Amino acid sequence: MTSISNTQKQPVLKLINVCKRFGGVVAANEISFELYAGEIFGLIGPNGSGKTTLINLITGIYSVDSGSIVLDGKNIVRMPIHNRARVGIVRTFQHPRLLGRCDIRANISLGKDLADKRKIPDTDKYQERMGVLLEAAGLTNVDLSDSIEKLSYGQQKMLEIVRALLSKPKVLLLDEPAAGLNRKEMSYIINLIDFAVKEDICVLLIEHAMDLVMSICQRLTVLNFGQQIASGIPSEIQENPAVIKAYLGGSRNAEN
Amino acid sequence: MNLQLLVSGVSTGVVYGLIAMGMVLIFRAVGVMNFAQGEFLMFGGYLCYTLNRLLHLPIGLSLILASLLMGAVGVIFMRTSYWPLRNAQARAIIVSAMGASIVLKEGARLIWGSIPVTVERVVNGSTTLAGSAVVQWQYVAIIVISAMIMALVYLLLEKTFIGHIMQATAQDQYMASLVGIPVIMSIGLTFALSAFLTGIGGGLLAPLFFLNNTMGATAGAKAFAAIVIGGFGSVQGAIIGGLIVGLVEAFGGAYISTTYQLVLIYVMLVLVLMFRPQGIFGGKIQEKA
Amino acid sequence: MKQLNYKFVIKYILPGLFLAFCLAIPGFTSGYMLRVLNIALITYLCVLSLYVILGMCGQNSFAQAGLWGVGAYMAANFVMKMGAPPLAALLLSSLGTAVFAFVLGFAFFRLRQYYFTFASVGLMAILNGLFMNWNEVTGGALGITNIPSFSIGGAIIKSEPGNFYVIFFICLAAFFLMKVLFNSALGRSFMAIRDNEIAANCLGVNSLLTKSIAFGISGALCGAAGALYAFLAGYLSYQTFTFQQSTMYLIMIMLGGTMSPSGALIGTLIISLLQEWVRPLQNYMQFIYGAGIMILMIVQPEGIFGGGKAIYDKYLKHSKTARTEAD
Repeated sequence: MTSISNTQKQPVLKLINVCKRFGGVVAANEISFELYAGEIFGLIGPNGSGKTTLINLITGIYSVDSGSIVLDGKNIVRMPIHNRARVGIVRTFQHPRLLGRCDIRANISLGKDLADKRKIPDTDKYQERMGVLLEAAGLTNVDLSDSIEKLSYGQQKMLEIVRALLSKPKVLLLDEPAAGLNRKEMSYIINLIDFAVKEDICVLLIEHAMDLVMSICQRLTVLNFGQQIASGIPSEIQENPAVIKAYLGGSRNAEN
Repeated sequence: MNLQLLVSGVSTGVVYGLIAMGMVLIFRAVGVMNFAQGEFLMFGGYLCYTLNRLLHLPIGLSLILASLLMGAVGVIFMRTSYWPLRNAQARAIIVSAMGASIVLKEGARLIWGSIPVTVERVVNGSTTLAGSAVVQWQYVAIIVISAMIMALVYLLLEKTFIGHIMQATAQDQYMASLVGIPVIMSIGLTFALSAFLTGIGGGLLAPLFFLNNTMGATAGAKAFAAIVIGGFGSVQGAIIGGLIVGLVEAFGGAYISTTYQLVLIYVMLVLVLMFRPQGIFGGKIQEKA
Repeated sequence: MKQLNYKFVIKYILPGLFLAFCLAIPGFTSGYMLRVLNIALITYLCVLSLYVILGMCGQNSFAQAGLWGVGAYMAANFVMKMGAPPLAALLLSSLGTAVFAFVLGFAFFRLRQYYFTFASVGLMAILNGLFMNWNEVTGGALGITNIPSFSIGGAIIKSEPGNFYVIFFICLAAFFLMKVLFNSALGRSFMAIRDNEIAANCLGVNSLLTKSIAFGISGALCGAAGALYAFLAGYLSYQTFTFQQSTMYLIMIMLGGTMSPSGALIGTLIISLLQEWVRPLQNYMQFIYGAGIMILMIVQPEGIFGGGKAIYDKYLKHSKTARTEAD
């Protein structure tokens, strides 16, 4: 499968000239890229460059000003948020948004509920799939009837990805999954992304941890002030002078 | 256009505007609707009655003293039903305010009894306008006094240091405390101002409608409708909403049906919410995070 | 092992004992007290409706007493004007109120957050105005009198104990339906909306539809409560179905804790019985009642059951850590 080049495959998700402004601030200007099944696509850029906005546009939390978002050949820009989830676009949040006052099982079940709404048939394998996912996330020895507050921050982030993957999405949007996690937990994130890739899910990864992005993403695009300043494979991006300038400039400002 | 109805509509409207203003001030300061606001009106009316009829003070002095006393009631109210719950969920604050409203209502009954009472008018007599419209001077007095108070409150909030402190606290309590504003004092002042505004309304309305201990609920409900119709969270909206409610009540009562007065107001409230949730005169929807 | 036993006791034995106690109540309770309890149980259904819409779905409604009235007047009309048997009227008015609430929900839940609450205040006032003035259907200010008692088949249930069992079993059924709802996909979608609406949408939950369903379910509970009230009281007046009644439901659920049907029960019983207990104080009754609400809220803002559950969880955690340390 991997030997087939991108030009022969149909993209799963395609952004064409997506624009969004908030008052005078341009959060996304003519953004275009394509995601293919089983691919890990990185979206990087300094703070405030419009990465999370882009995820919000894809999931429908914000509506686009112009441009189109195409899933499997169908333009979804007019689709409400919940229907986008039901056609297979699932995301996680920078800070995990779980049912704070329910047990872990109820939280995970929401993923299963979405799979049911998506009319994904293999419900009998649900338990097995959940077991595999929980193991990949390092959550095997957690009591599912415990409340969510008993989990660490990292475990909560993991749980959110598990929940998303249980719904068998077509596109998984990860918003800074590794932020605030230690090395060990980072490896679980990689396990979960691997699981997604094996199921031919395309993964859009927003991340600040450069080593993680450079090591697992096949392709990247770099945003700065809502502009797409570079796209390509990781080795090209690392050499790109515009990217280096944006990052060094950005980090210097941030430090001072 | 019936001039008589217009004047009575506007005069009750401005009083609803006063109550609504009081509600909005509290809402902006603490992010929770005060469900006991109507009781402030009732209590203010009774205080005025005590000073005017039992202690035989002149009505003007009674009004001033009663509304100042209401300020103190506001502070006590804040200290007992809001402050202990300031870190709890909004619903808990709402419920404790409901408890407080029962306490005020029943307290008034225990103190003053349940027989309706009244106070003196500020101005007696009436005049005939445009041929046939008989306008009582009390209505005119209500409009003038309320308008003056509204203007003073506006100046207080916008032009004075205390007003700025109150607005800063309303916007962000934590930031206000960081710049050295004593939050409890600032919120206390807001409650005091709110109760003052509403209480004076009670004293003004008392000569026209009899005072009784259950009048607060209806008045509060109308002020609430005024806030939503006028534009939620804005002081100007509260005043305009109050006027609209007063006019709808007067004209609806005269031309449609007195029994459906309140229904009419609330149908309007629901319609406004459906088609213009920010209220007729509200700008963007303001939500306190 | 000991740990498990405690759980077993709390989960099965205590509720079992409570159930047996409840069934025995008519044996040792006077007619008047039983009437108080019957009304309290009917109120419980309304508070349970608030549990669905507020506790599970996070939307505060002040229209529940209005929906209760809709159910009551519907039942009275079904029985007296259309000659429906009371059991059918009970089911029909429950269903009818559910549909009524669901349709209104579709209009109202276009509004976000507290704007829905505002609309519900409006709805309550409008419904009360209709109850008072719509003479053909509600009897207007005179109300409806001589509503026949409840009956199943040919058996007319007139006595207070008989009514107690009917109402009790309907409450019990509602209680367990709530438990089922809690563990269902629908219940989870309610809670997802309560905890984070955007995140819920991103998991495929349709806000408008889901909230309307929650309001519809709460309508079904209120409708059933209304019908039961009509049959029990035999008389309906617009003065029963007021905004104040709605606020009382809120007070009850807040005192008991919004997070469980049991909390709703505790809150309902406390307030209902509190009102009875302070009755001898007559003149001071309402004053003490109001002060009691304030004090209870300040002492226990999470509700009594909420606080109790926190203590229970804490206890479990303690015993768990004790165990792991022993290992």
